[in-house]
Amino acid sequence: MALRRRFGDATGVRIIITGGGEVGYALARALATDHEIFVIDHSPEVADRFAALDIGFIHGSATSADVLRRAHVDRADLLIACTGLDEVNFVSCAIAHRSGLPRTICFVSRDDFLREEGDDSMRAHFGIERVVWPEAQLAEDIERIIAAPGAIDAEVFSGGRIRLLEYRLQSGSPLTAGPLAALNVPRRALIVAVKHREAFQIPRGDTRLAAGDKIVVMGTPDALRALQPLIDPSAAPAARRQVVTIIGGGDVGFRLAQRLDSSSDCDVRIFEKERRRGELLAATLRRALVLHGDGTDLELLEGEEIGRSDVLVSVIDNDERNLLASLLARQLGVRKIITRVSRPANLRLFERVGIDVALSARGAAVASVVHQIQGGRANLLAVLEEGQATIVELVVPPGYRPRSLQELDAPPQSIVGAILRGDEVIIPRGADQIRPLDRLLVFATSDSVARIRDFFATAH
Amino acid sequence: MRLPIVLHLIGIILRLFGLMFLGPFAVAWYHAELRDALAFGISGLAAAVLGHIMIRSSAGGGDDLRRVEGLAVVAATWLLVAHAAAAPYVLVGMSPVDALFESMSGLTTTGATVIRDFSQFGRGVFFWRSMTQWLGGMGVIALFVAVLPRLSIGGRQLFFAEAPGPTDEKLTPQIRKTAAALWAVYAALTAAEIVALALVGMPLFDATCNAFTTLAAGGFSPHPLSIMGYGNPAAEWIITFFMLAAGANFALHYRLFRGEGRVFVRDEEFRAYLGIVIVSTALLVWLLGSGSGALWDRVRVAVFQVTSILTTTGYASVDFQLWSDQAKMVLFILMFIGGCAGSASGGPKVVRQVLIARYTLLELRRTIHPRGVLPVKLGGRVVPDDVMRGVLVFFLFYLLVFAVCAFVVVALGADLVTGITAAIATLGNTGPGFGAVGPMSHFGDLHPVSKIVLTAAMWIGRLEVLTVLALLRPEVWRTTRWSS
Repeated sequence: MALRRRFGDATGVRIIITGGGEVGYALARALATDHEIFVIDHSPEVADRFAALDIGFIHGSATSADVLRRAHVDRADLLIACTGLDEVNFVSCAIAHRSGLPRTICFVSRDDFLREEGDDSMRAHFGIERVVWPEAQLAEDIERIIAAPGAIDAEVFSGGRIRLLEYRLQSGSPLTAGPLAALNVPRRALIVAVKHREAFQIPRGDTRLAAGDKIVVMGTPDALRALQPLIDPSAAPAARRQVVTIIGGGDVGFRLAQRLDSSSDCDVRIFEKERRRGELLAATLRRALVLHGDGTDLELLEGEEIGRSDVLVSVIDNDERNLLASLLARQLGVRKIITRVSRPANLRLFERVGIDVALSARGAAVASVVHQIQGGRANLLAVLEEGQATIVELVVPPGYRPRSLQELDAPPQSIVGAILRGDEVIIPRGADQIRPLDRLLVFATSDSVARIRDFFATAH
Repeated sequence: MRLPIVLHLIGIILRLFGLMFLGPFAVAWYHAELRDALAFGISGLAAAVLGHIMIRSSAGGGDDLRRVEGLAVVAATWLLVAHAAAAPYVLVGMSPVDALFESMSGLTTTGATVIRDFSQFGRGVFFWRSMTQWLGGMGVIALFVAVLPRLSIGGRQLFFAEAPGPTDEKLTPQIRKTAAALWAVYAALTAAEIVALALVGMPLFDATCNAFTTLAAGGFSPHPLSIMGYGNPAAEWIITFFMLAAGANFALHYRLFRGEGRVFVRDEEFRAYLGIVIVSTALLVWLLGSGSGALWDRVRVAVFQVTSILTTTGYASVDFQLWSDQAKMVLFILMFIGGCAGSASGGPKVVRQVLIARYTLLELRRTIHPRGVLPVKLGGRVVPDDVMRGVLVFFLFYLLVFAVCAFVVVALGADLVTGITAAIATLGNTGPGFGAVGPMSHFGDLHPVSKIVLTAAMWIGRLEVLTVLALLRPEVWRTTRWSS
């Protein structure tokens, strides 16, 4: 938040990234076009990979004050420490902080010293402004998706009053009956995007939906709940508790189980291969059932009636085994499958073979950091569909002449998903008006964001 | 096992125990019961002299106390102190077997009596009965650990051997301070009860005796008809409250005194304990039926009796021997539960039953999920396997000792109900049973051998079975030697 305020009007931020691994590369790639970036890594091999990016690469140690000076630490605005070693990251941040760089983001892989919440003094001691723990981030994302039954992806805005859910339409859904304009969609829900096969578009009144399409819906929690049976008419009503099966009790699985354990609408079971780890899980979790065994053991999965789970989350630290566990679960009839992917290249493959949601811990963390940096400039709330679409928040200028959405001649690849007027939340229809000082949540394809911002800034 | 060290420690305790006879000596003297006063004087002197001889004839030596020596000191101390406490009973006319039974029943806070005719004895004797319970309630050894600096070596082992419980919980790093703190809380609660009872009209002597035996969860009363004899509902409520306190973990009392609020609410064992009281009371109120008085009276009677039996105090505010078998069954089941660990009460203890129940239920769950990792938890923490095993073994031995005692008593001529309830009432340190050993009756008519066996049961039960049974292992005796 602090970052957002500070960088609000800057055109570019000077960033030092220590560590040229997957995270460092993904960050550099996402930020390179708009910002001035130095990447520090001690391995010359990784330099080649960065050669294609418009950044400065410095070969050296991330904990050397001298190297950091060569990266102009005195002029930089932000240091992101994302080497594979927590300790190195702490020291990098501490040195940068001493050199007068107030803003640091530190990636960690354990919660040993620097917990995200709670005691801030330790963090302050190392001069770390924000700690990013990708595994925890991933657990949080997965929890959000589980909390929206039927949905395969979820975002929350405006403190939970507005949600954005992604669904896959099941065969027999009433939504496939005719053009959008003729459908009976709940009043406070709005379909803002449709993904038919690989093609992504903002729907219009004459758009027709088909089974297997992914649709993105914005709306209030109540309306989205009412929408749920229309998406998948065969699904049981969501009155009973969800059964969630987690495969793999590592950092992600454990944190996810902990989060779900405290909510009363989930029955959690978690498979862990290692006895000792399983005992630790069982000691900490209050209600969840911990099972000692391999999540890819078909006999065990059948014995525990995995097929009756509403959601299966496979978060083993190994892509092949995750895929195997997920496919077994699909065979056994699990409705919704969420799988962790370590190698970004595997993401697309996973979704193609039928896994509903494939997520990567690093991806989630990188997205959240990029969001923090970019968000300040663009009021960007979320990036969806691997960057194909974004949600931006816009404030209508004071001198704006009120008019209804129908009268609005907005750019084609965008749609106003919600209007926030004071405490009121409006999921708009054509007749709803836009007034001065309204805050709009606009869903747009990434290439039309600039146009949409200009449109509201200039139209009077 | 090095006998000199064991004897030395026992001697220290016994010598000091001789001082305790000053209490009944003073009471008897005050009431001009000179013969009784003499009996207490002689007994006390004998105990002190014997203790002194034991100390002189053996060397303290060594600064460590081995585990088995600790067990032996505790077991033998209790046995010896019981004999010492029985001496005045013999001097005032009881048979030796009866005297030892009465004395052991006192020290182990059982409250079973062999006295047929209460008018036969003076005030000093009744005071001594109550006082032995009070001394035994918080633990004779805990008392001496608290007051004797020389017991601080090895005191830790002795302290936990006397009040084993499933876990070692110390309030302060030093065992001596822990023992002192517990005794202080105990004494404070006793004083509070004496005042409360005196305020509702109980004579001071009776209030003192009853308070001594309430806080000890003992159950001796100077009145032949127990608490029923006073016909004082207010006193019954007061005693119910203090019985509940006596059956709760004294560590919790201590922490409450220290200003930690909500300790009771947060303690899982205490919640279970209170739950048992409430459920059993409701059950009894229903079973007693409307024929036995107004609802409020029935509640008073039921909660008094439930608390009395659950905390193994053994008072009676009505003659529950006259109750229906259904109602008696409720009390009988309570005898197998007991109060909280770390309390003055006997029995297997609530926490053990909670653990056993959880373990059993988890085994049921394990049959459905054979690969489940299902640890037993208490208060959010995992109970280690060895502790759980200890609990299960304890309860098995407990049942075994119970069965043997019941068998002996029945074999020697008692009826089935009398035999079974006499066994559990003595092993669990409760006191009264049903049948011939009911609340308004006594154990005096049992076969002398039965009395001896039940005396042993009280001793074994007070020391939570394993302390005593472990000493029966042959290797303990094979290694016993005279030199240190």
